[in-house]
Formats: sequence, C-alpha cells, structure tokens
Amino acid sequence: MTSPTAPVATTGYPWPIETTRLANGLRVVVSEDRTAPVVCVNLWYDVGSRHEPPGQTGFAHLFEHLMFEGSQHVRKTEHMKLVQGNGGSLNATTNPDRTNYFETMPSEHLELALWLEADRMGGLVPALTQETLDNQREVVKNERRQRYENVPYGDAWLRLLPLLYPPGHPYHHATIGSMEDLNAADLDTFKAFHQQYYAPNNAVLTVVGDAGAAEVFALAEKYFGAIAAVPDIPPAPDGTLPGPAPEPAREEVTAAVPAPRIYLSHRTYPFGTKGYDAMTVLATVLGNGRGSRLYQRLADGARIAQPDYIGAYGVDLAHAPAPLIVTATAKDGVSLETLEAGLSDVMRSLIDEPVTDDELNRAKALLTTAWWRQVSTAGGRADTLGRYATQFGDPAAAAERLAQWLAITAEDVTEAAKEVLRPESRVTLTYLPGEPS
Amino acid sequence: MTLVTSRPAPGAARPYAFPAVRRISAHGGTVIAAHLPGQILASAVLLLDAGAARETAGREGTATVLAKSLEEGTRKRDSAAYALALEGLGAELAPSVDWDAFRVGVSAPGPLLAGAVRLAAEAARTPKLDPADVARVRDDEVTALRMDWAQPGPRADAALRGDLFGADGRYSRPLHGDPTSVAAVTVEDVLAFHEAWLLRPGVLLVAGDLDGLDLDALAEAAFEGTSGEPLEPAGPLGVVLPDRRRTILVDRPGSVQSTLRLGHRAPERATPDYVPMTLAATVLGGAFTSRLNHLIREVKGYTYGIRGSYAMTRRSGRFEVAAGVQTAVTAPAIRDTLGEIARTEAEGVTEAELEVARSWRAGQLSVEMQTPGAIAGALASLVVHGLPDDYYETLRREYLEATVERVSQAAADHLSTDRLTLVVEGDGAVIRDELAEFGDLADAEV
Repeated sequence: MTSPTAPVATTGYPWPIETTRLANGLRVVVSEDRTAPVVCVNLWYDVGSRHEPPGQTGFAHLFEHLMFEGSQHVRKTEHMKLVQGNGGSLNATTNPDRTNYFETMPSEHLELALWLEADRMGGLVPALTQETLDNQREVVKNERRQRYENVPYGDAWLRLLPLLYPPGHPYHHATIGSMEDLNAADLDTFKAFHQQYYAPNNAVLTVVGDAGAAEVFALAEKYFGAIAAVPDIPPAPDGTLPGPAPEPAREEVTAAVPAPRIYLSHRTYPFGTKGYDAMTVLATVLGNGRGSRLYQRLADGARIAQPDYIGAYGVDLAHAPAPLIVTATAKDGVSLETLEAGLSDVMRSLIDEPVTDDELNRAKALLTTAWWRQVSTAGGRADTLGRYATQFGDPAAAAERLAQWLAITAEDVTEAAKEVLRPESRVTLTYLPGEPS
Repeated sequence: MTLVTSRPAPGAARPYAFPAVRRISAHGGTVIAAHLPGQILASAVLLLDAGAARETAGREGTATVLAKSLEEGTRKRDSAAYALALEGLGAELAPSVDWDAFRVGVSAPGPLLAGAVRLAAEAARTPKLDPADVARVRDDEVTALRMDWAQPGPRADAALRGDLFGADGRYSRPLHGDPTSVAAVTVEDVLAFHEAWLLRPGVLLVAGDLDGLDLDALAEAAFEGTSGEPLEPAGPLGVVLPDRRRTILVDRPGSVQSTLRLGHRAPERATPDYVPMTLAATVLGGAFTSRLNHLIREVKGYTYGIRGSYAMTRRSGRFEVAAGVQTAVTAPAIRDTLGEIARTEAEGVTEAELEVARSWRAGQLSVEMQTPGAIAGALASLVVHGLPDDYYETLRREYLEATVERVSQAAADHLSTDRLTLVVEGDGAVIRDELAEFGDLADAEV
C-alpha cells in the first residue's frame, strides 16, 4: 500500500478575518462562518502571572475568578446564569503570559455575551466586595490542593519553573501562586489590578462564527466604546535571557508517588519564532505518539519506560524562551538511573542522529491534524486569532503557523537541538517513591 | 458615555438542525455518516458490541488489555511499521471500552480518512496478538492502573460501584478492572475476547465533509473479512436501593482533601424519564449555578467544584455527586450536600432554575457538537441506544418543553437521599470520627 502524503496547506486559516480598533484602543477581530448557529466571544487581556510582583503570586489567576462574581449591572452569580441559561459554554484561563475569557453561545445571544464582557471590563470594581474575595480565595486554595498538592507528581510544574528561570524572571513562579501570597491578598490590590490592566487598550475582542464583521464592529462600539483607555500600562518585567541556562540544575524529590519518574526540561525559544517552530516539530519527533523516538526506544525498544507515561511537549509561552518538557516513568523494577541514562541517550540522539524523512513526515502529519483540530470549533478559532492579535499584533499571522511548521527541515531540528538541548543547560527533576523527607 | 445598563434581548434564533445523516449498508455492515460541510478534519469510529460487560468474572480489564494490544502489530506489519503508517497520515488510533461498546476511532484530514480507517480496521480485525506482546501489555496495564489508583478518585469510585452493584456481577467491578483483576487476565482471555466479539461487522460512524468521502470505500475498509449477526441486547438490571444510608471510608493518609462520591442506583438510559431526570440533575448539580455548586463552592468555599449527575448505560444507571473538599470541612460539606439533595427530592425545582437548565441543555446540542469527533460520538449514542436519526431534534424539543411538575416528579422518583451510599476517600485519622453522624460507617475493601 502506498500511503498518500498529507495535503500541502496553502493557509492554516481558510476563513475571513476582519479587524478594527475602537477609539479607546480595543482591537476587534471578526471571523465569520455561518455553518452552525453558534458564535464565540473571546477576550484576551495582555496580563498574566508574569506581571505579578514579589508577594503577589497567584493574583492574576485569583482575579480571573473575581471576574465571574458580578459587575456594575450584573448581579453576583448572574454571569454564569445568563450564559448557561441561554445555552452557552464559558470559561477563562490564566497562564504566565495572559488571561483569556470566552463563551460560545447560540448566535442569537451574541449581544448578551458582548454586554456581559463589556460590563466586567468597564464596571467590575464597584461590584467587588471583601466577601467575594474571601470566598474565591478559598475556591482557589482548593483548586491548588486538588490540582497540585493532592495528586502524585502534581507539583512538578511548580518545581520546574524556578529551576528553569532565575529569581526575578517573570516565569520564575507558577500562575497558581503560593498559599502565603493568596492569604495575604487584599481588596484594594485587586481593585488597582483591574484599573491597571483590564483596559480596552490592553485587550483583544475576537468574535468567531455566526456573525458578520459590520454587525460585530457596531456592537463592539455600542458596548465597549464608553470604556476609557488606560494610559501608560506598565509592561511586565523583561523576560529576555542571554540563552540556554549556563549550568545544569537538578532537584530530587522523595514523595508518595507510585513509581520513579523523571522530568527533563530546557529553556528553548519564545513561541512564535522559527526556533520554536523547530522545537515544536522536534517535540513531536521526540515524544508525541507511538512512532516517536522516546516511545520506540524506551517504551517499546528497551522497555524501561511505562508506555502510558512517556512524552515531550513545548509550553507555548511567548515572552521569554519557552520550556520543552520531556518526561518518562520507570517500569516495575527499573531504576531511576537506568531511566535517566535512557532518556539522556534519546535526547543526545537529536544532536547525533539526523531526523529521517519518515520521522519528519510523521511529525508534520500529526501537527497538521492537531492544527485542524484546534481550529475545528468557533472557540478554538477565536482563541487562536486572539493569541496572534495579542502577541504578534496580527490575527492573520495565525494562518502562517501550519505552513511554518511544515517548512521546518531535519537540519533546522538538529540545529535547534544543538543550541538548546545540551546536557549543560538541562533541568532535571526526579521523583522517587518513599516517605517525604 | 457610560456602560449600557440593561441586558440586551436575544436576536432571532436560527432553527436547530443536527447535521444531515446518511446511512448505507455495504460489504456486510452499516455506515452512518453525518455531513459537516467545510470541515477539514474527518472522524470515523468503528463501534463494536464488545463492551466491558462481556468480560469474564475475575478477569475485568480483558477488553482494555485487548484495546491496548491492537497496536502491537498486525498480520501485515510490526508495531513500529504500524505506528509509522498510521501516524504518517496524521492519525492516531483511539481504542476505548465502555459498558456498552468497544470503539476504535481515528481522525485525520478528510482526504486521508480512508487510509486511516483501513489501518484502524486492520488493527481491530487482524491484530497479531503475539502472546509475549499481550502478556507485556497486560503487565504494563497493571502498572498503569496502579499509577492511576495512586490518585484520589479511582478507589472511591470502585468502593461506590462495589456497593451499588454488589449483586450484579460485572457491573460491581470497575469499568477497566483493578490491578488485581488485570493481573489475572491471561493471553488466552484476550485472544478469546477478540475472537468472540471483534469480528462481527459492527457499525462505522463517520463525521466530516461527505462531499469528499467515499462511504462505500470506507465500508469496504471497515467490514472486510467480517461475519456474524448483530447480538441481542440484554435486559436492564433494574433499580435496587438499600433500606438505609451507609458510609464507606477509603483511607488516604495525609490527604489535604476528602474525595466525595455519593450515589445510588437509577434507571437505565431507555427510561422515559431520561429528559426530566437530566434536567433535575442539572438544577441540583449540573450547571455552574446549580444548587450544589452554588452552596458548596460559591457560598462556602469548600471546594473547587462539585457535580451531580445521572450516568446511564444500556443496562444500568446511577445517580452520583462528586467533589473534592478541603479535609477540615469534610463533615460540613457532606451535611450541606445531603441537604441540597434532600431539598431537591422533597421540593422539586423552581421555574427560574428549570429555565436555566432547559436552555443550557438545549443550547449545548449545538454549542458542544461542533467537531467531527463530537458528532461521531453523537451518532454512536444513536446506535447504542437504538435512537432514530432525528433524535437530537426531538431531544432538544423535549428539553425545552419540560415542565416544573414533570421535572420535580422525576426528582422525587429518582433521588433517594436516605438510601445513598456515601464514599469518602480522605485522611482517616482526621475524618473518621466525624463521619459517624452520616450512618453506618465501614472501611472500604479496595
């Protein structure tokens, strides 16, 4: 059987994109698609945990929770009730780079979604109370317990970040923050946080689906036009780093975990650069799927790693060299040392053994499917356009990402590996089962 | 200028329609396909009547070991060549097992779907199943289950299931088995399960832009070399409730949260009360503004989230509330949770709450069914539960027309606060004493 090759993508975004900017600086992006009677409204605010000063870790994320607790014309609990009660799905996320809010609605409720978003952009502070802050602080502390503290290996990300980024770097601390800082959060700080960052000129509004650009532009003016711009929004601390870490870092944890596990990580390149595109292809060659080098050599070949718990991925951060994370968990009776030696060999192979055509085609085919999956929903498209508008100033740049991945050569992968994946710059985090010391 | 003070009224709603469904019978099987014009990705699911309920007692997890063995090579190629061939199309095999079915799914850009289905069928119909490979996969699955069971949740789930379905054989054991039952699975068990259940044609579900897909060719790929008639479905297990409430403690020393699983049995999916039950559960614990999430998260701050729902399969059903709460508030959280279940059982729902639940469930049929994968899943439900092609239009109408009386009656009929089993997985040294107030306390045997 001859396998057909993946179709060559001329564009990764074959839908229209129209943009405008309101007088107050709010950028509006519209991508019409009338296929289904649904519309997604998405807001990217250019503020994340990288903006948090010492002593205020976790504030950007706790603030995201407060955005659902009512605003000037929306009573407490009404936001969720209005979105779900009109058939919609909603959520919000915070990461080191940014905070996003989004709801997908049956399209007759587009205007409702815009009104809700405008009200909490322009009118959150009058509705913010101590009671709400105290309640959501407890919710977030339970989120921390549930996601990071009460699960084996759950704190790996919290441990990796300070090993990867030096003190004072905007990515040094995790978005969830520390219990101490969360306990110290006071109301005035959050009011000031909103007034500083939740400004129309610090946001991108993206609407995708069953709505036209002219209609959305007019509605954006109607609902958001009255919100004043905020002058001189302070940037986050500079994330520039001179290159890969100058020396390796290592942390060994003994904890109540079921098997030895290793995380290897490197600072690579910022998301959006050619270097990071090479890293994206590299991560797929290395650790995505049963045909990947890690799976083939350590799970299938040497059989020292558990097949369900091996892989590699990049964390798509744009404001400093983003991490590549490689992880494997030992099979029964395999030592941490054996596993680490195996992982190191596979990592070195990226420098020593050129990526073959088969490996490259496999990676590109998987990335092609992943790309189309990401843009197969109104919500996925809106978030993608919001990202490219916020981080690169142009939503249409999203259309180029797939072609940029497909243009990566075996040499590009090897060059990137040589530059940023050397053992001398590696972060190693190991877990051993046992009583925590 | 100021913010717009009043909430805008909705625009004109477009009529709801599930994607056009096309059925063909060819090459010994049936293809059911949904047309998604303009979609670049396409999904296909081979749906086989080979769910976990068909496993042998004491060997729970056999189907899961088989699912994971399918990619260890076929009669045509070894595992590495198979991975390269399939992933070279941008597809990955997604075999899965639930109570009612065994599914083998693939997604790929439309033009590559036929090749992906051919490979999926090759793995499902003609896997190599070399004994040494199957034994290794089995051992790996034991390890993977131990990893999973080290997290909060699986042991509590197993304790609840064991209590609710204790007299119902396979249904009393975890869907994917436990580390002990999987360790007992033999190579012969896996080969026999394949031989007995995976060689009938089954049904192929397809979702994508059908203008570019040849359904006959997909049928040929999916059904080649198969034979046998569809199996007769077995009857429902019925609803058996204990005569009083009981509490089961699953010890997790040092846990900073208590994992709650409160449940009792309920009717199976075919119940005429499916819609009002779903809406009652949405008011109680489904929507973000549900009674449980509002009180336990938004007022009390005890949890990151709490959910209540009915889960229904072809033969069984159960009501369940699930949450992780801070250890220090375990008893108050259970007390408040029982209070809201009891209130819903006794007083039913209000029109204001039901209005949210109706619109949300109806709207989700379009909002959450945008991808080929989601549509293929919706098609699978039609097959598993014997529903007509226009079912989703009917379902939407039934949601929107449900009355307070009907939904309240369903809550009264299908909630039973005093007969719940309360499973609490947490730090026994801290919480054991305070659990006594909730009824007979036993330690879990998991």
